[in-house]
Amino acid sequence: MSLNRLITVSHLTKDYRTSRRREGVRGGLIDLLRPQRRVVRAVEDVSFTIDEGEMVGYIGANGAGKSTTIKMLTGILTPTAGEVRVGGLVPYEERQRYTRHIGVVFGQRTQLWWDLAVVESLRLLKKIYEVDDALYEAQLALFDDLLQIRELLHQPVRKLSLGQRMRCDLAAALLHRPRILFLDEPTIGLDVVAKQSVRNFLKETRDRLGTTVILTTHDLGDIQELCRRIMIIDHGRLLFDGTIDELRGRVGDRVRVRVELWDPAPASALAECTTGLPVKWEEHDGQEHAVEFSRRDVRAAEVIRHVVNARRVHDISIQEPTIEEVVRQIYRTGVVAGTARSSEASPHD
Amino acid sequence: MRSSPSLDAGAARGGLRAALGHQLGVFGAYFAQFLKVRLSYRVDFAIDLLANLIQASVQLAILSVLFSKVPSLRGWSYEQVLFIYGFSLLPLGLFNIVSVNLYRFGERYIVEGHFDRVLLRPVNPLAQIMFEEFNIAGVNEIGVGVGVLVYASTRLGLAWSPVDLLVLGVLALAGALIFAGIFLGLTSVSFWFEDRMGLAPPVYNVIRFSRYPVTIFSPLVRLFLTFVLPFAWVAFFPATWFIGGPQARRLALLTPLVGVAVFGLAYHVWKRGLRRYASTGS
Repeated sequence: MSLNRLITVSHLTKDYRTSRRREGVRGGLIDLLRPQRRVVRAVEDVSFTIDEGEMVGYIGANGAGKSTTIKMLTGILTPTAGEVRVGGLVPYEERQRYTRHIGVVFGQRTQLWWDLAVVESLRLLKKIYEVDDALYEAQLALFDDLLQIRELLHQPVRKLSLGQRMRCDLAAALLHRPRILFLDEPTIGLDVVAKQSVRNFLKETRDRLGTTVILTTHDLGDIQELCRRIMIIDHGRLLFDGTIDELRGRVGDRVRVRVELWDPAPASALAECTTGLPVKWEEHDGQEHAVEFSRRDVRAAEVIRHVVNARRVHDISIQEPTIEEVVRQIYRTGVVAGTARSSEASPHD
Repeated sequence: MRSSPSLDAGAARGGLRAALGHQLGVFGAYFAQFLKVRLSYRVDFAIDLLANLIQASVQLAILSVLFSKVPSLRGWSYEQVLFIYGFSLLPLGLFNIVSVNLYRFGERYIVEGHFDRVLLRPVNPLAQIMFEEFNIAGVNEIGVGVGVLVYASTRLGLAWSPVDLLVLGVLALAGALIFAGIFLGLTSVSFWFEDRMGLAPPVYNVIRFSRYPVTIFSPLVRLFLTFVLPFAWVAFFPATWFIGGPQARRLALLTPLVGVAVFGLAYHVWKRGLRRYASTGS
């Protein structure tokens, strides 16, 4: 039990009721009389805790339950079962009070007023969040230092590029110095430079202000660069919660070593020089060979030492699986373990 | 580092008065912002004003033509009807200033999804929606209304005491509250049905009935305007405080009660809609 635990989520579950439309005019008429309702479980029995100052990546495919979880954490949605507690508050029960302590950025949708100059949006937010003058000035100076927003302040939001808008949205979300920042796809659609500037800003925010950050993303680069901890959700269930290294470990920590020899040789010759090691050479002839193994069984240096001792080697490269591949593997195994729940419900209950 | 990660410390800020002060401050900030943007489009502003003046002239012309044919409507003189018309513009103008987003709530906030943003801010969601956009034409309507009232009461030889002025203000606000209640009720339907058109336009058309003495209509219409869609309380009943007999005057003072009741009921429906939104997210 950690002393500075900020967020406690226990057995969080959310069901949606949807109606399925029948086809055609006839179907439309039948829909009117007897709608086909069904219950879709968007989030199922999710539990986790987050400490103050942590930066957590929350990832999952579209429709996996990411947004639904975030909406419950921000107080927009009420869970069907389970509970969220954030620093002694229940977000969806005391929403208006809770919102003073959080900042939210939706990558696809601006929080700013479309027709107003950025600085005017910020002034409205200052009023809404009752930010005093000293804090306002301090925050503005900080944002200009980190995001270079001064030059954007007097432009209307609709005239900003996506990257510029995201910088301003971040400033707007943090103006009242919230304890927690929720980011939904903060780098979506951004070019490499803009992406980097957003990532740097988030790192600085955490370091300088101690803000707890929870971000959802498709971009595993965000995760790799920002988050020590990640949570993976699929079909509404939490499949993984831990560090990136633990994630690699969980899927077996596979490594692939490519060897380029001076002289052609059969794969069996290479297998010979690694006798006794738990590795398997791919069946190639010629100069290029590849071997795959688990880091848990043997260290890459050991394998390479054996090869170099026995053969004249031109070049060696080590390929680690990308986080994408690791996540894909988690999904593959996770889908088998988890079950997509949806049950038919009677239309009149 | 902060010592304990509790969000409660400092969260409660001095009760209801402070909360109201906060909401009023936000309203002021929104309105100032709006005026600034609106005034920067001077041509639009002038067109709005012109459109309102034309609209008012047409309505006044209709009344004049009507009364050039008949001396009175069920005992109501031209000047009295004029007075009711002038009065009706005050609550209507007040309401029109803040009601723009009520009409497009379903489409803009629910379907397009702006409502989540509203819910993420520490200001009452309904107040945010009403204050996010203003209709400056409402100010013009109030101006025209005051002009017509001054003209009609001069012709009627009415003497205005300070109490009368106070009553005028209170009754106009109460009328605006009735409008707000009726249309808030219709708006709240969007929480249950994804209905882009809504019931608001046909109901808005019924408003024109509020400009005439309700006694000129058939009993059925009278009942409808008094108890079902209570537009009779917006102008006719309040106006009788100034131009009606002693019995009618007492009825006029019920207007604030009707306003609070209608708005209270609608706000209750709105709150239920909010709860539904929180459980369905759509």
